[in-house]
Amino acid sequence: MPTRMVRAALAGLAIAIVPLANANAHCFVGGRFFPAMLATDDPCVADEMSSPTVQWNSANPNGREHDVGGDFAKRITENFGITVSSTWTRVRPPADSGTVGPSAYGFQNLVTTAQFQVLKDAPSELALLAGAIFSWGNSGAAGVGAVPWSTITPTFYFGKGFGGLPDSAGFMRAFAVTGQVGYEIPTTSFDLVSGNPVPQNLVWGTSLQFSMPYLRSSVIDLGLPDFINHLIPIVEGQFAAPVANKSGIDFVITGTVNPGVIWVGNYFQVGVEAIVPVNRASGTSIGAIAQLHLYLDDMFPRGIGRPLLGNAAPPMLPFGNASTPGRPPFGN
Amino acid sequence: MRNISIIASVAAFLLLGTVAVTAHAYLDRAEPRVGNAVRTAPRELTLWFTQNLEPAFSTVAVTDESGQRVDAGKPSVSGSVMRVPLRATRPGTYRVMWHVLSVDTHTTEGNFSFRVGE
Repeated sequence: MPTRMVRAALAGLAIAIVPLANANAHCFVGGRFFPAMLATDDPCVADEMSSPTVQWNSANPNGREHDVGGDFAKRITENFGITVSSTWTRVRPPADSGTVGPSAYGFQNLVTTAQFQVLKDAPSELALLAGAIFSWGNSGAAGVGAVPWSTITPTFYFGKGFGGLPDSAGFMRAFAVTGQVGYEIPTTSFDLVSGNPVPQNLVWGTSLQFSMPYLRSSVIDLGLPDFINHLIPIVEGQFAAPVANKSGIDFVITGTVNPGVIWVGNYFQVGVEAIVPVNRASGTSIGAIAQLHLYLDDMFPRGIGRPLLGNAAPPMLPFGNASTPGRPPFGN
Repeated sequence: MRNISIIASVAAFLLLGTVAVTAHAYLDRAEPRVGNAVRTAPRELTLWFTQNLEPAFSTVAVTDESGQRVDAGKPSVSGSVMRVPLRATRPGTYRVMWHVLSVDTHTTEGNFSFRVGE
């Protein structure tokens, strides 16, 4: 395989793995709930755990890849949290490659993420989050693609629900979008083993989601079966492109588009998505990802599900009752 | 043996301090139904939530098209159900704004509308 294709494929592999380590939050903003997503991150800090996340993808240039991952997210304060993520990978050489050898397996590099909640604005259903993703070099197995250098990726996240549209917008009000954009900076500029430069990458992702729970509770109750009312159909996209220190590397955007659905319960959610590569450098066939995600803040509200430091904001009444009016209603 | 110790430690850590298992209170359904129309003005609004509520910190406001409050009196809370009497008498669109605290101290809020008359 030409070196250029290997580089592009490694970039694709990187974006296929990193999101596994960053799907982690339980996110209420006003009447809007942003579910934890499978390929990108939602715009909130929370106490959560994804275990397991399983994935099959074709982004690895050395063969078909199977991943099993987990992550644990913990709020330190009400608005600051950290996440620790780990992924175990097995790479099986393709049968038609002529390669006769055993599967490679081992852990990817350990990933930790620090995030700060910048804004949660209930009336506009807007959430903003800032964070930094640290991938620790030499903490994984080289045989499955873990690189010996570390990376830091300052990342900005947003989520916006369309519930603020006028009632005449109807079903459109149940839609929401999320997104994230980061700049991946490696701790080395040159890979001594391969003799190639290590580029800095722009990484970004987005999702479009339609919330059946929101439709039922805030737009219109259609009397649908309960199972349907817990579904959030979603399309995620995740992309990466080398933007600096890329001498000799073609500018190729790699990424996947992931259509799927998430079932949301009171204490956990289950999601499944297809992984569709956007080009050959991003993979050679359709993969899949599935995840069980636990809401620790709901399961253990007085234990591990609350911030380590400080207390949650005290409850308040946004408005009084009609006979003893308090604060004005929402929107005034 | 070491693995068993680790698993036991994690389990104990997860359960530490846990008193009750509850969750965010999310609106499950309402009567009048969310986004639907009723022929005659309802005398009461009823909201069913997914979790039990703290009555002292759970409330609801209902306004007509001019923004005037039409909820009459303090809402009553029983378990996961909240009720408030209404004095809506005219056809039109009414907006409901709720704000509740579940018994595990999670706050949630939301709003929706319903119509009276066709």
